[in-house]
Amino acid sequence: MTTSAQTVRAPARARTAAAGATVRRKQGFQHGGWFVAPFLALFALFVIWPLLRGLYLSLTDANISGDAAHFIGLDNYREALNDPLMWDSLGHSAYFTLLVVPCITVLAFLLAMLAHHIERAKWLWRLCFFAPFLLPSTVTGNLWQWLFNPGTGMVNHVFGIETPWLTDKSYAMLAVVICTLWWTVGFSFLLYLAALQGIPAHLYEAAKLDGANAWHRMVHITLPMLRNITGLVVALQILASLQVFDQAVVMMDFGPGPEDSTRTFVQYTLEQGFTSYRVGYASAISIIFFVIIAAVALARMWLLRNREEGGR
Amino acid sequence: MTTAAPVHVKPRKAWTPSQIILTLLGAAVSAVFLAPLAWALFTSLKSETEAVEVPPHWLPKVWTGQAWKAIFENGNITNWFVNSLVVSVCVTTVVLFVSALAGYGFARTEFRGKGALMGLVMTGLMVSPAVLGVPLFTTVQQMGMVDTYWGMILPQCAPAAMVYILYKFFQGIPRELEEAAFIDGAGRWRVFFTIVLPLSRPSLAAVGIFTFIASWNNFLWPYMVTNNPDLMTMPNGIATVMNSYGIQWAQLMAGGLMAGLPLIIVFVFFQRQIVAGVAHTGLAGQ
Amino acid sequence: MGRPDLNRRQLLGGLGGLLVAGSFGFAALGTGADALAAGAQTRVRYWNLFSGGDGYNMIAMLDSFREENPGIDVKDSTLQWGSPFYTKLAMAAAGNRAPDLGVMHLGRVTGFAPGRLLDPWDVELLAKYGVREADFNPVLWKRAVIDGKLYALPLDIHVQLCFYRKDVLKKAGLLGDDGRIVPVTSTDEWFDVLKEAKKATKKGLQTLGLHANDQNFMWWFFVAFYTQLGGTFFNAADTEVTFDTDKAVQVLQFLRRHVTDGYSTAGAADGEQFINGAPFTWEGNWSVPVFSGAKLDYGATPLPPVFGRQATHAESHSFVLPHQSDRGGATNEGAHRLAAYVVKHARQWAAGGHIPAYTPTLSTAAYKKLSPQNEYVSAMDHQATEPKVWFAGSTGILAQRVGPVVVSASMGSAKPESAARRMKSTLAQLLAMKNPMDGHTAAQGGALA
Repeated sequence: MTTSAQTVRAPARARTAAAGATVRRKQGFQHGGWFVAPFLALFALFVIWPLLRGLYLSLTDANISGDAAHFIGLDNYREALNDPLMWDSLGHSAYFTLLVVPCITVLAFLLAMLAHHIERAKWLWRLCFFAPFLLPSTVTGNLWQWLFNPGTGMVNHVFGIETPWLTDKSYAMLAVVICTLWWTVGFSFLLYLAALQGIPAHLYEAAKLDGANAWHRMVHITLPMLRNITGLVVALQILASLQVFDQAVVMMDFGPGPEDSTRTFVQYTLEQGFTSYRVGYASAISIIFFVIIAAVALARMWLLRNREEGGR
Repeated sequence: MTTAAPVHVKPRKAWTPSQIILTLLGAAVSAVFLAPLAWALFTSLKSETEAVEVPPHWLPKVWTGQAWKAIFENGNITNWFVNSLVVSVCVTTVVLFVSALAGYGFARTEFRGKGALMGLVMTGLMVSPAVLGVPLFTTVQQMGMVDTYWGMILPQCAPAAMVYILYKFFQGIPRELEEAAFIDGAGRWRVFFTIVLPLSRPSLAAVGIFTFIASWNNFLWPYMVTNNPDLMTMPNGIATVMNSYGIQWAQLMAGGLMAGLPLIIVFVFFQRQIVAGVAHTGLAGQ
Repeated sequence: MGRPDLNRRQLLGGLGGLLVAGSFGFAALGTGADALAAGAQTRVRYWNLFSGGDGYNMIAMLDSFREENPGIDVKDSTLQWGSPFYTKLAMAAAGNRAPDLGVMHLGRVTGFAPGRLLDPWDVELLAKYGVREADFNPVLWKRAVIDGKLYALPLDIHVQLCFYRKDVLKKAGLLGDDGRIVPVTSTDEWFDVLKEAKKATKKGLQTLGLHANDQNFMWWFFVAFYTQLGGTFFNAADTEVTFDTDKAVQVLQFLRRHVTDGYSTAGAADGEQFINGAPFTWEGNWSVPVFSGAKLDYGATPLPPVFGRQATHAESHSFVLPHQSDRGGATNEGAHRLAAYVVKHARQWAAGGHIPAYTPTLSTAAYKKLSPQNEYVSAMDHQATEPKVWFAGSTGILAQRVGPVVVSASMGSAKPESAARRMKSTLAQLLAMKNPMDGHTAAQGGALA
């Protein structure tokens, strides 16, 4: 670790008071290594080290038992790029993301507008829209598995349909998406709500005086003021949706769904690592996944910077 | 406001037509959101045979607490509940401690390599058990912490995001407050604990609340690292350990509510703080 | 938001402090509440995957074991069946936190790294508790021995069955004089039977529960009928794929026809429909206690020999000792005692539908009286099993890869011909794949029985 480990020296009495004060003031902000040390220790052990270890393992044929592994160069990566199941599972995660992100963004915005503009019992709307988010993912998965159940489920019963939600490959992912919308829209909803409450009221009052109607106020004040938060919601949702796992496996009884249609990328890495015991190969596809996630995150940072520069 | 009423009297809001429509709409949407939860509750109060009756019906014909009684007698659920509590409390405590220190360290102190380390922490934002689960598991396996509480707790204790949020917050505190204290001869640690921390209570509460929710509901990492049903947390146990009578939906729903209800009840009471917390932690990412 | 007064705040702070201290203390103890409560008794941790009708049978047997052995505290856990179970078992063994006793499908044992993830049984200790090699079907016992050591203690054989409702079939005139279903020897005869049965079926119910969308069942049924046609998967040396796509197409078309002819509804709750009056369902024998418990008038035969020859899919449950570096002592003895107890009380286990591996039971009058068990016990003489390679076994890699392809044919999203070709290419890939545990392909012998 590069942090220096000195303690602060006791202030020297011989110095004049004024000089002492300056030194102390400066010293106060020096040598912060001890502050960050506990975090960095945990961070190094459980984030950096696994990342480096994953890189190393991805070049070996390591298995789950921890036996000595052989160095096999880039074989794992070569296999991964030609592995149709990996591409399929990446496709499923991407498809899920493509469905969830726009739906959640629009829905969260609409719910926030609704809750913001109703004047009574504001706490009630907040509670109702946000409560599902507080459930554990597996409970949510079980609940929706139960709701989508063919004979005994409420969804088909209420709508008078006989859709094979969980057993037909054209509906299975849709079922996971619906479950996810219900479960997580509350989080983005709160972000929008907070942003709406942060818009200064005088903007609206000024617009009203200028004779702008409700529609104009929304298009010319609300929406532009929400641009930043929309960027944030979309980015957070993309990153979270690409990593989808919990609710999908629970709804499909830990299987890959009908005809492998809901096997997500995370699920595939775990299957390779823990079910097929191929830790080396699983590490290689994890690293590929890390690169994808990092690319999305960096793209967002780049977009933000561009926008800030453009805005100035 | 056009009324000249004294400030402390809340003006009764008028039921304008648009308010009526909006409120009705809100009620309808809320019903849709609550319906699955109600369905879970009603299912948990049915007998197992009534729960799987076709066609399904909302209210139990015969109300029974058998499912709730069964999950308490079986003992697994209470066991997992304790485990969840232990893990979440430990994670929240450690996270608050280390990320407050680190956030302050990065925001207010100078040391060699700070910039590089900060960049490294930013990389950590992209790493999660979902992304690097397998290597993380082998690391924990090497340390001999598979199937232990610490194996569940410690890897959840290095959240770069929380450090970043507190870092941003500490940057916003006026420097003059600390400088004045330094001049009075206070040490850095004293300044941190007596001046900085009290000022940041809302931010710490936000981080704490968010960490607790995330840890209580965390499934993926506990799922990877615990196999022993004695040590499982609620979300993990409910999903991976079954009772030997096949899926019993009434019991499953009762167990699910047991896992979900504590947070929902806490939410009802501390709504304002939690909403502020979630919004604060989320918005800090802007 | 009212500011809480000082006392309340102190109280909350104190409680919070206690909670934090308690949590850290509990985490430091590290055993979990249940193990703490068990105290000083010998505690045998036992993991199984019996969540079907056989599950409550197991619970009953454990309860009687506890009564007879008050000094041993059995902590049984039923984990989600299928690959999650094997994942958990492997990870626990790899992390040296394995349970004292586990259940495993016999077909999975070879791929489960005996010696590293599994410990061998102490045969003398087993003999002390009354279980000897001579009491078992020799084929079964041999499959459990690897490198001269016993790694699995066979418990049963379980087979896929054709369950039928006697009350419905009687109306349709499909019951013979012995009160059992008329024999079927060809696909045409089978569909004739379905046609007649459909006429006698209540409205809204399917004729046959086929699990057409379930990759496990579809794979098991495929193996059964493919074996009836005399098909094979690999040559004896495991160097070449001998999969016959023509035969496979025949089987896939046969399975698909149940759906296209309207005898089977994909996604229906097959078990519940059978209880409600559907005439047929194809299920594992573990459903026997469920259907018997529902007081149905029913019978069960091996899957019909529609391709001329008897064969039905079979697997075996067995007890294993997951690897513990410090295995031994009272806990290990308790594990041996418990396993021997369950194996010996085969009559009781047979009530769960499984055919006992402990042969002395099979010839007893009590077993011969068990119905419908006595109707399908012959199934153990014509078992259709997966090839004996490291990637096979219940919900193993083979089933995970090929199962969805069978489903794509039975659900109609792929033509039988293209599905059969995909099966063949998948088999070739698997044969070339190295067992991650020892770096050998199936042909190189790997860990083979």
